[in-house]
Amino acid sequence: MSGDEVPLDEKARRMRDLLSSFYGPDPSMSPNPPSKFAPLDAINSNSFNADHYLNLLIHKSSLEGLLQRHVGMAAEIKNLDTDLQMLVYENYNKFISATDAIKRMNSNIMGMESNMEQLLEKIKTVQSRSDGVNTSLFEKREHIEKLHLTRNLLRKVQFIYDLPARLGKCIKSEAYADAVRFYTGAMPIFKAYGDSSFQDCKRASEEAIAIIIKNLQGKLFSDSESIQARAEAAMLLKQLDFPVDSLKEKLFEKLEQSLGDLQLKDEDISRCLLMSNDPSKLENHPESVAATVHEASVQEFVEAVRAYRVIFPDSDKQLIKLAQELVTKNFETGEQYGKKRIRAADLLAVLRMIWKEVLLMDEVLHESVLSEFSLEAVQITVKHHVASRFSHLLHDISDALTKVYVGQKEGMEEFPLQVALGASKKAVLQGSMDILLDFRQLLDDDLELLVKLRESILNWVQEGFQDFFRELHGRFLLLSGRNNSSGQVHGVVEGTQGDRILASLVLVLAQLSVFIEQTAIQRITEEIAASFAGGGIRLYENGPAFVPGEICRSFRSAGEKLLHHYINLRNQRISVLLRKRFTTPNWVKHKEPREVHMFVDLLLQELEAIKKEVKQVLPQGLLRRHQRNDSNGSTNSSRSNPLREGKLSRTNTQKARSQLLETHLAKLFKQKVEIFTKVECTQESVITTIVKFSLKSLQEFVRHQTFNRSGFQQIQLDIQYLRTPLKEAAEDEAAIDFLLDEVSVAAAERCLDPIPLEQPILDKLIQAKLTKSLSQSAVSS
Amino acid sequence: MQGGSSGIGYGLKYQILKFCLHTQARCISDVKADTDHTSFLTGTLSLKEENEVHLLRLSSGGTELICEGLFSHPNEIWDLSSCPFDQRIFSTVFSTGESYGAAIWQIPELYGQLNSPQLELIAALDAHVGKINCVLWWSSGRHDKLVSIDEENIFLWSLDCSNKNAQVQSKQSSGMLHYLSGGAWDPHDVNAVAATCESSVQFWDLRSMGKTNSIEHAHVRNVDYDTKKKHLLVTAADESGIHLWDLRMLKAPIQELPGHTHWTWAVCCNPEYDGFILSAGTDSTVNLWLVSTSNHDELPSESLVESPNQRANSLLNSYSDYEDSVYGLAWSSREPWIFASLSYDGRVVVESVKPFLSRK
Repeated sequence: MSGDEVPLDEKARRMRDLLSSFYGPDPSMSPNPPSKFAPLDAINSNSFNADHYLNLLIHKSSLEGLLQRHVGMAAEIKNLDTDLQMLVYENYNKFISATDAIKRMNSNIMGMESNMEQLLEKIKTVQSRSDGVNTSLFEKREHIEKLHLTRNLLRKVQFIYDLPARLGKCIKSEAYADAVRFYTGAMPIFKAYGDSSFQDCKRASEEAIAIIIKNLQGKLFSDSESIQARAEAAMLLKQLDFPVDSLKEKLFEKLEQSLGDLQLKDEDISRCLLMSNDPSKLENHPESVAATVHEASVQEFVEAVRAYRVIFPDSDKQLIKLAQELVTKNFETGEQYGKKRIRAADLLAVLRMIWKEVLLMDEVLHESVLSEFSLEAVQITVKHHVASRFSHLLHDISDALTKVYVGQKEGMEEFPLQVALGASKKAVLQGSMDILLDFRQLLDDDLELLVKLRESILNWVQEGFQDFFRELHGRFLLLSGRNNSSGQVHGVVEGTQGDRILASLVLVLAQLSVFIEQTAIQRITEEIAASFAGGGIRLYENGPAFVPGEICRSFRSAGEKLLHHYINLRNQRISVLLRKRFTTPNWVKHKEPREVHMFVDLLLQELEAIKKEVKQVLPQGLLRRHQRNDSNGSTNSSRSNPLREGKLSRTNTQKARSQLLETHLAKLFKQKVEIFTKVECTQESVITTIVKFSLKSLQEFVRHQTFNRSGFQQIQLDIQYLRTPLKEAAEDEAAIDFLLDEVSVAAAERCLDPIPLEQPILDKLIQAKLTKSLSQSAVSS
Repeated sequence: MQGGSSGIGYGLKYQILKFCLHTQARCISDVKADTDHTSFLTGTLSLKEENEVHLLRLSSGGTELICEGLFSHPNEIWDLSSCPFDQRIFSTVFSTGESYGAAIWQIPELYGQLNSPQLELIAALDAHVGKINCVLWWSSGRHDKLVSIDEENIFLWSLDCSNKNAQVQSKQSSGMLHYLSGGAWDPHDVNAVAATCESSVQFWDLRSMGKTNSIEHAHVRNVDYDTKKKHLLVTAADESGIHLWDLRMLKAPIQELPGHTHWTWAVCCNPEYDGFILSAGTDSTVNLWLVSTSNHDELPSESLVESPNQRANSLLNSYSDYEDSVYGLAWSSREPWIFASLSYDGRVVVESVKPFLSRK
């Protein structure tokens, strides 16, 4: 309350309160309702208790404070007195002036009554005079009016007689509007009296009007006339009760005809593209003929439509239909074009062209909702375009891959696999990047249509990638799988060539899968995140769009599977080799070994071929291997490592003991982990696995036979010879050693009389073989 | 190791049971005619030492694997199969190292004493010349015929057990360049036998002794008919894994299983539970697969692009408790959730697949 008030206003406020309490109807309505607990300074309230106030003041304040209060209060009282005096004086003043005014009013009113009476008399005389004038002029006026009527009639008759001539004049001056106005004015008269009095006149004017109609029609159809003129003509014709509808149809047909010329044709597109492709040209001739031809015709069409619309205002529906037809057709052309293999920029150019037309037409035909209509059409077009881009990419990659076939068959290049892998890698990465770049153009373009489609495009692109990789994955499996079933038939029929190429294709596919998993997906994800993020909101509603994790997973498994498939295919070939070796001779009646059997050469050749392939395609081991072990933590491989080392020392210490016991013991510890470790996508791992597998196969074949001493010795010799090159080829020497020993053990077990060859003879035979193969390679090189 | 833990999980009753023959061995057979016990017959493969046939029996509580009988056999045994209607009769294929033979044997009635009693020879199937692969019994009932397959010929024998006599009923050469390697007798058709050779699986009609059909599929190592489902054949090929075929559509397999890391040596369809397939491989593992064979109409191309996850799912378990290649594999027909496997080092492992039956 008072505490809130500004202290300077204290005085004014009190004044106001006092005044209001004096004039106010009810003291209780005052802003400070009286209360027992009114503050000390509520000296103005009605319930002010002077004793109480004083008591409080004396109790609370010091002497100095009381004195101060006293001074203040005295000053206030003085002020209040002055104020009161002022008020009384002012009131008195006002009262005096009011009495003066009343006095003056009284004296003015005194003379008014006599003036009013004079006025009344004068008005009465004026009225009587005017009545007199009126009656005296009445007769003459009637006569004049009659004369005027006759004159008008005569003028009309004159007009009708003059009409033909006037019409003729109008025709001459091409003032058809006037002519029609005249004619229609005269019409009622012709209708009433045309058959009798004005026969000649009517005939003459009808002739004139016929000419006018003809002229008007000509005007209507002539393109050279301005639209206004044509519209006027149409209106005049209508006024003349001429059947306009037939004219309308005629004109409409004409429009439809021109529509045919308007449709986008391939040449238009290519011309337009030529321009957009060649910016320098664009700069030199900004209004070059090529682009403008089509545009001009559209412009023309639009003008025609506008005219038509002005001429026949009730024809919107037909026109809209017409325009929509045109737009549909153009978009169809665009869509067809979009399905072709083009860059987004080209598509953009085409779309832009179409959109320009649409805008032009939209200007004329607002009701046609052409823009929405074309939005839908563009949606379809762009969607198709996206889809077609992806399918083209898929084709590209397949093409790059099938080059493995062609390249190998022709045997032209030195490293066909490497080339194929490089090409397909490039196809995948570059292709995807190109696509993204293209789509980005679509996104970045400010074409109104596409801006609206932004969200959808984002989603399409993401979905597109997802589907694309899914399809690619399927394609990979198909390439390796289908060829597999037919390859087996081939293998029988066609022999080795088909198998080998398939195997290398599978290898390339495997490595490509790894590449996609490790590099391509990442790049694409980054790219998408950079420029295609944002479709995210709708993404969840429509189900998952681009899920790199899922694709990575599927490609990882595909990579592993394909790698296994490759190893399997290779092993099949080696198995065939070994099977031939072991099923043909009669091992029980084997002759004494004279030299290392030639199957060893074949085996080594095969391994050499594999090595060559693998070297072209797969990465070197060491570095990557560690990465993988770290990241994957596969139990299999990590478990095998310590065991492998343990085995090494074990073999060293136990070398002295009998071979058989050693291998049996060794078997207890590690055979399984040793041989069938997880295959990794490296040269070494793959080769080692293949070597291991082929030795295992060898062992199985050996176990299936029964040998005599010479047979056993032959095996021993072959194995001894194989030992060095195999160990060189494979990284896991211990395992290879072990497996080779296993083969020897198996042969010994299956031998009736296992007496091994003596070391010197063994050495001699191997030496002989070595020199022979050396000289052979010398001859061949 | 996995099998072991799961076995313990289901109580002592289904723990892994092992028995060691102490010599190399390749073949094991379920004694189907023994309705009181779950028994298996195995034969050893030792070129230079004494060979034996072991009769192994699962104790009534299923807690122990006991050697019930030990019979000396003159030569190393390459194939052994038990007669489906007489538990004492079985056939072996053996080799002296230089030549092969096949014979039907009978376990002597009093074999209580375990000191290698002699087997009684019922009949020698001595019409073979080359390497004999296997002797087949018709598994679905009493049938007095036998089929034996050697590398070049397929023989149909009529067996008269009481007179201890076996006669060659008919014989047919497999044809030039077709070296047979094994076979299986269709349990649904007493006249149909499937024989494997290098590049195909041939189907023989025993009445006409002629080939009726074939699957062109290379290197099939083992075949097995599904006893429950007609027209279903399972093959195991060295490198290319396991394939399921519908006998009415032989162009392409209805399903493929990846098989083993190295060769897949043997396959076995469960006699009772649909879709349970065992396979043994030279990677020293036995794999248990569950396949859904109900969708026979599935296009073969679909199986090619089947997602890897689906394939992985069909592998229920991999028993890796072996130290050498596993060649012998047999389901028990009496307790069809039990199977016996035999690795080359002569170790018999009997395990239960009961934990996996619920998956079906």
